[in-house]
Amino acid sequence: MTSPAITEAQVLDALRSVMDPDLHRDIVALGFIRNMKIEGSVVAFDVNLTTPACPVKDRLRDQSRQAVLTNVPGATDVRVNMTAEVRRAQAPDTSALKTVKNIIAVGSGKGGVGKSTVAANIAASLASSGARVGLLDADIYGPSIPIMMQTGTPAEPLADNTIQPGIAHGVRLMSMGYLTPGDQPLIWRGPMAHKALQQCLLGVNWGELDYLVVDLPPGTGDVHLTLVQTVPVTGAVIVSTPQDVGLQIAMKTLRMLQQTKVPILGIVENMSYYVCPHCGERDELFGHGGAKAAAESMKIPFLGEIPLDIAIRRYSDRGTPVSIAEPESPSGLAFREITGRLAQQVSMRAFKNIALSIVEE
Amino acid sequence: MAPLTPEQTTPVGLRKKGGERFTVAWADGHESVYGARYLRGRCPCAQCVSEMTGQRLVFEEHVNPDVAVAAARTVGQYALHFDWSDGHTTGIYSYDYLRRICPCDACLSALEGGSA
Repeated sequence: MTSPAITEAQVLDALRSVMDPDLHRDIVALGFIRNMKIEGSVVAFDVNLTTPACPVKDRLRDQSRQAVLTNVPGATDVRVNMTAEVRRAQAPDTSALKTVKNIIAVGSGKGGVGKSTVAANIAASLASSGARVGLLDADIYGPSIPIMMQTGTPAEPLADNTIQPGIAHGVRLMSMGYLTPGDQPLIWRGPMAHKALQQCLLGVNWGELDYLVVDLPPGTGDVHLTLVQTVPVTGAVIVSTPQDVGLQIAMKTLRMLQQTKVPILGIVENMSYYVCPHCGERDELFGHGGAKAAAESMKIPFLGEIPLDIAIRRYSDRGTPVSIAEPESPSGLAFREITGRLAQQVSMRAFKNIALSIVEE
Repeated sequence: MAPLTPEQTTPVGLRKKGGERFTVAWADGHESVYGARYLRGRCPCAQCVSEMTGQRLVFEEHVNPDVAVAAARTVGQYALHFDWSDGHTTGIYSYDYLRRICPCDACLSALEGGSA
């Protein structure tokens, strides 16, 4: 007995029961289903997600498969191929960086809270998930990315006055630190910082990028203003320690970004706790949970907490972020979870924001 | 001054009619239509408003009646920038500021006799 041929409409109807948990719409309405092929009882299609770092990838694959097996009569073999294409959060207002889909700023209030460590780990784990990623170290006062991400290929100036970014761990890299010799400090007035950042943003051959992570200097200064005025920033991540004083200053940076209408993608609590390597006891040196409470009171996503772990420091000093050196270690996992939640937030922005450009009447 | 809601300061449409008129449609449904001279005379830059005292130095009546918008562009996600036909280019008009100086009758009378 042969059952009637399976139609594409039947499969799509079945898939309408699968919801994206972040975007709150079904995966058919979101246009995720691509390349459907039906041969006899075999149904194959792609589910094209908004980020390769999607934390619910496996769940969506199982749900899609089950939905078709259960609801489409005659389908016995369902092959789901998970793909991803990062959507652009908003149309850029200038020709600047038109090949970059999303710009994520990483900021903090105080220095020394691990902002660069967070930026490097986020960039590296986004890249290891398959996304095309750039990392711009805009911390003019203490550029540390050149140490944390030791390059395979160094950045180099080209004849046409542009800069070819370096590459390390699959991430395209540019640092304000490359602009001066290693041990020399940068002593710059504001206007110099402004020009230098513009050149690092616009004068670098970033190529096609899904995410450009920008590691900001601490506080609220020239570099922040230049960034938000030069390019449309998709959103910002704030890094803080759990301690009250650190958190209060972090909130100032957060409000400055809000005043320039940069969406806050979330807060990360670094140096959250210390696990004693000898007895395994958890010690909360700077208190704990302060950033989470602050995030809740300000209705901002809390992206996660990172332990105070010697491995993070050791791998940073050797030039490979812990999230790719030891992805399954507690710290590696913490960074990868934070990256997943961040990528979700960016995807949500991409569906919420509408492109705004000036039209002639 | 009452604080503005996010809907009141989020633009959903930006339209320019030649050099003479600029329109912002807001997320709360309001629409602000600005004449070129009105906007030029309310430039928020440090040459037009004293940095030390906050006193306005350049008023609408100081501006050429025929002033026009030579070019307009968005600044990041929070403001607009205009190049004026008189050569002035230093003002960055945040959306908050633009909403506060909406020239429609309802908004102007809410400003109580026009302290702007």
